[in-house]
Amino acid sequence: MYRRLRLCSSGGGFEAIPDPPRRVDLARVRAALEKEGVRVVDARVMLIAGSDPEITISQNGRLLFKTADPDAADRAFARLLPAIESATRPGE
Amino acid sequence: MSRGVMLMSGGIDSPVAMHYLLRQGHELLAVHLDNRPFTDDSPLSKVVDHLTVLRERYHQPIPLYVVPHGSTQVTLMRETDRHVGCVLCRRFMWRSAERIAQREGATFLVTGEALGQVASQTLSNMRNATASVSLPIIRPLIGFDKSEIEAVAKSIGTYEISTRPGVCCQAVPDKPATRSNLVQILKEEERIDVEQIIDDCVRKAVLL
Repeated sequence: MYRRLRLCSSGGGFEAIPDPPRRVDLARVRAALEKEGVRVVDARVMLIAGSDPEITISQNGRLLFKTADPDAADRAFARLLPAIESATRPGE
Repeated sequence: MSRGVMLMSGGIDSPVAMHYLLRQGHELLAVHLDNRPFTDDSPLSKVVDHLTVLRERYHQPIPLYVVPHGSTQVTLMRETDRHVGCVLCRRFMWRSAERIAQREGATFLVTGEALGQVASQTLSNMRNATASVSLPIIRPLIGFDKSEIEAVAKSIGTYEISTRPGVCCQAVPDKPATRSNLVQILKEEERIDVEQIIDDCVRKAVLL
């Protein structure tokens, strides 16, 4: 569903883009994360979750890990993936 | 010379705009709208470093107000039309800057906007954003192109700071309006409590 993480265009974090495009049910992701005790800010069209690193989860499935450390981004991606996969459907 | 409030983003343009007014001898205060969690810590650290360079160059204290803006973004994203999100966001930035100006006895606002650079800087969007305030707005870079601004930034020592890695604003919509309509903007603002939002943000502003 996701290709490898890549450095975002402004170089301040790592992003993952779903391929093929997917839509993420943010309410389900939020519920799953909060159940695990992760702090989530719900901005309707995106969630901002966690703090180590902070992650932006967009409705279109784009994930942004706000860290310059690729290993930290990889670890956060692995932790987040189950919640994302359980809440996606094919893109529009 | 008069006293003004400069909106500082951490980008390339705002320190250059500030440089021109400081060079003329104006007294400036800086205001940074802190967009976390829609950005990372980098914009604020860039603003702090820009001001260090400019204070040293012009021997001015240049106080910095940091105004929280993330909660405003959350409200805008939840309650208003995403298409005009950038214009609404800018209106709140201007209002916060104007409140700080009134508190500090400043008589004008300054921005590094240059016409047509990004979605929020088309003529109609700039007009609709600034219709939210009444103080005069100075735009020293309005007719500059990006390469001219970058050349000045390099010459004054702010370019390297501005181009450090950082997370771009994540609140920017996929398709921001480039030609907004003030009637629609005002309707969108009817959905939210504008005064309460501004009161909260300015009350929580921190002077660095």
